[in-house]
Amino acid sequence: MNDPYQVLGISESATDEEVKRAYRDLARKYHPDNYHDNPLADLAQEKMKEINAAYEEINRRRSGGSRPSGSGYTGGWQQQSGGSPIFQQVRAAIQIGDIARAESLLYSISDHTAEWYFLKGAVSYRRGWMDEAMRYYQTACQMEPNNPEYQRALNLMRNGSPYRPGGAPFGTLCAGNPCLTLCCAYTLCNNAYCCCI
Amino acid sequence: MYGYVRPPLDLPEAERKRFGRAYCGLCHTLGERYGPAAQFILNYDFTLLAILLSGPEEGDIHHGRCVAHPVHGRDRLETNSALALAADESVILAYWQLRDGVEDHDWFHGLKYRGVSAILEPAYRKAAGIRPGFDESTRRQLNLLAELEGEECPSMDQAADTFAVLLREAAQAVDEPVRRRVLEQLLYHLGRWVYLVDAADDLQQDAAAGSYNPVALRYGLPEGRWTEESRQSFAATLDHSIHMMATAFELWDFGVWTPVLEKTFYSGLFQVGRAVLDGTFRAKGGKDLPPGSP
Repeated sequence: MNDPYQVLGISESATDEEVKRAYRDLARKYHPDNYHDNPLADLAQEKMKEINAAYEEINRRRSGGSRPSGSGYTGGWQQQSGGSPIFQQVRAAIQIGDIARAESLLYSISDHTAEWYFLKGAVSYRRGWMDEAMRYYQTACQMEPNNPEYQRALNLMRNGSPYRPGGAPFGTLCAGNPCLTLCCAYTLCNNAYCCCI
Repeated sequence: MYGYVRPPLDLPEAERKRFGRAYCGLCHTLGERYGPAAQFILNYDFTLLAILLSGPEEGDIHHGRCVAHPVHGRDRLETNSALALAADESVILAYWQLRDGVEDHDWFHGLKYRGVSAILEPAYRKAAGIRPGFDESTRRQLNLLAELEGEECPSMDQAADTFAVLLREAAQAVDEPVRRRVLEQLLYHLGRWVYLVDAADDLQQDAAAGSYNPVALRYGLPEGRWTEESRQSFAATLDHSIHMMATAFELWDFGVWTPVLEKTFYSGLFQVGRAVLDGTFRAKGGKDLPPGSP
């Protein structure tokens, strides 16, 4: 394991509060919500594991080796399973990054249900076709407004990036306009980032 | 299409100077490898590409005079493999962009593109010989883009994808797999952002000329004027690409270049996008602003 203090970017003389702050900042940066449907999510997950292990190791050392592990963030990287076998195949293809297969499977389905639109959205997002991703997610949510999985994907796109260094606003229409800073500030509530706009 | 990347306005002095050394280093490398005629293609976009392709250390710095700074001279990075790669790729990108300009204009208005591309031709031939894969992919993607524009492709994402893939290919020479993945994603979304910002900047001009514009088609803006809803939606899609750039950037150690890249991805691109959407970008010189050391 790398030096846990180096992983968190702090010195060994850092106070407990500084350790906690550094950990929280990094955990926010590599949070699964920040990499939802992101083709580089696996790399972020590795980073997150490294940060969690470093934080636990520092806590263990500072408590004389007696503190139980498991205090770090354990984010959900779960992928819900679809109802029909073909949708499960699409999800499996997306999961391993085989976007071409996921697309051809979706193309072969003539019944365009809410799940079909949701998966089209996930495929578009992975390809970087963000405008179409947004529109597919919106259609899925309109067809099944109470589906939490579709709603979550749409909300994460609408709310933008939960992380930005120094608390600066993240957004083209916020840039250089201090009046909008508050409007664009994210608030942390119930473990999810919600945009105040 | 180039000219939308700028060093962020709020860059600290030390980082502004570091960016300047990369800018002058790329200029020098272009001159060294391709002669003085190739130095006129220099811009901030290609400097950002050079920085992205650079290692974590800045490398050797040299103080010297040049045509642009004949009296006091400037500090610049010594030529290294990253600057050489960026110079080769910049020549190929600039050449095909000029050829695209020839195709897009009638004989008279295409003259300047034809003239400049003829001057750049020897440099291009040499660069294409060194980087045949990148030359091939750039040509392929621009042909694809011309086809989509010809058939008035209504999908903004599909049109932008051609330029995004084109820029993504600039990472193909990177050997380390994780670094290549990070750079591919970053450059894909930088390309998407550049294409879309350029289309937004050209909205009214294209409307007046009756030219294809993917943003106007997507939002139904025949006069080239934004509605508040379309403006918000377009800004959101730009932000999604910037988010993808920023999240990719956080997964690799860019060493001494981290502050300038952080400012670029977390504020610089927003500033340019906002100026384009407000219509103030062109008024402040726009992408035709003559390049000079930052």
